[in-house]
Amino acid sequence: MSKAIEVAGLKKSFHNRKGKRMTVEAVRGVSLSVESGEIFGFLGPNGAGKTTTLRMLTTLLPIDEGKAVVAGFDLKKQQKEVRRSIGYVGQSGGADLAATGMENLILAGRLYGMGRKEAQKRADELAELLDIRELLPRLTKTYSGGQKRRLEVALGMVQTPKVLFLDEPTTGLDPQNRANLWEQIRRLRNAGTTIFLTTHYLDEADMLADRLAIMDYGLIVAQGTPNELKQQISNDVIRIKLKTEQLTDGDAIKKLLKSEPYIHEIRMEGDSIHLYVDDSAKAGPHVFALLERGNMEIDTISFSRPSLDDVFLKQTGRLLRDTGKGGVA
Amino acid sequence: MNMMLETRLLFKRKMLETLREPVWIVAGLSTPLLYLILFAPLLKGLNAQALNADRVIDVFVPGMLALFAFGTGTGEGWTVVWEVQNGVIERLRVTPASRLSFLLGPVLRDIVMFIVPSLIVIAVSTLFGFHVHFSGLFVLMILLSLLTAVVSATSISLGLILKDSGSLAAVVTGLQLPVTLLAGVLLPLDLGPEWLQIIAHFNPLYYVVNATRVLSEGIIFDGEVYLAFAVMIGLCIIVFSWATRVYRKVVA
Repeated sequence: MSKAIEVAGLKKSFHNRKGKRMTVEAVRGVSLSVESGEIFGFLGPNGAGKTTTLRMLTTLLPIDEGKAVVAGFDLKKQQKEVRRSIGYVGQSGGADLAATGMENLILAGRLYGMGRKEAQKRADELAELLDIRELLPRLTKTYSGGQKRRLEVALGMVQTPKVLFLDEPTTGLDPQNRANLWEQIRRLRNAGTTIFLTTHYLDEADMLADRLAIMDYGLIVAQGTPNELKQQISNDVIRIKLKTEQLTDGDAIKKLLKSEPYIHEIRMEGDSIHLYVDDSAKAGPHVFALLERGNMEIDTISFSRPSLDDVFLKQTGRLLRDTGKGGVA
Repeated sequence: MNMMLETRLLFKRKMLETLREPVWIVAGLSTPLLYLILFAPLLKGLNAQALNADRVIDVFVPGMLALFAFGTGTGEGWTVVWEVQNGVIERLRVTPASRLSFLLGPVLRDIVMFIVPSLIVIAVSTLFGFHVHFSGLFVLMILLSLLTAVVSATSISLGLILKDSGSLAAVVTGLQLPVTLLAGVLLPLDLGPEWLQIIAHFNPLYYVVNATRVLSEGIIFDGEVYLAFAVMIGLCIIVFSWATRVYRKVVA
């Protein structure tokens, strides 16, 4: 079993009764494959269809069209087997706040068919793995956000799933808790679990995912390792910001730089210009010279590797941080 | 077999949840006791003959128990709304456990939370002169447990569908008052005009309340009782298959 998830032509529409048979196509034909034992990032702005896709893959939503095999089982015909093989941590968490952490873990284990002792043993293992032992005797409603998240990840891990689905696991966590959770997710991967996680944080996808897919408007627009995706764009990016009074002259800048062969692509993004080049060390002096000849004064300039934001910009024509509810670095 | 175990586990979860909030137990118990203490004395002046009974309290207590059975079932919908919002329902739904057990756990808790306080209410009622016929009361509690189950499953389904406590409140209270009034829970509908009695025949609770009055007299083998059980068992089947389907589909 080398493929943990295999999806082809997945579709889902929602019918809105209020708007006179308005149909919203949330997922419009998603195909992807996830290898066993990798962290697969599912990146996209809010409303791109990530959660809907995830809900279909976890048996929470029926599939309209397409084929999906999860952990070796057909999602349409073998729901029960799929449920036995996966773990799922939803966006809203799912810890039972009226119970203690330990009660939560043991009930979860027993619902997966474990005996009392087995469930207790597994709860102890997870307490160690996610570092939540001290919390477990307390009622869950007394937990902080980060503590609750860790319990919820533990809940998703109870039956030692082959594939663990995490829906925006770090949303709402402070930077320290985020880093902490990343570390724990890596540990789970190293222990052999395949992890499928959605996120709208670029840095999270970049740092954590072995491979990723970018989703926008219900479609996958790019798929690969973070490096592959970035290299498809160019090796380097030069970002230039001109002194403000020359901003209006965006077209002039484009015209000035367009004919240069070493520039693959020019993109204006707000008040800055992005030049995609093979080698910024070689291109840099040329660009300086051209701008000086054109009497354009540079405010700031930076040289860097392309980021996933550049990938997103190229694939969708806009920046991820413009589309979501913010917080994207 | 598996489903029994899952139901037991989920029942235990709900029971713990309830026992951790004793305020709700007290609040639930206070309703029938308040009726008994503050409303029953008003019945003293009524003519027992008109009610076709030896004592007015014998007509009043069974109806009040029916009201209590109904009320006990309504509450879980609100918890479910909250559990949908917190992702608890979703997390349960990704487990391979039976969908029916998700429903039966809280329903059984509601039945326990009806029966135990009811026994207290019945004991207090005897102080007010209520006549206890044990076998009749036993069957009565079974019948009313079915009522609690139907109301509880309905409340849960509505919670899952509406996902909002405001709309749930509107629907539940909108149903509760006409359904209980049209069943003659406080006073028998025989006292009312014919049109009221005709409408009442479309209300399942009407048959239950009629049967409770027969049962509390100690009569078990009676057409009214058979009819009430037939109505409640039929309703149970309909509501539970509907509610299980809702559980299968619901998404936050």
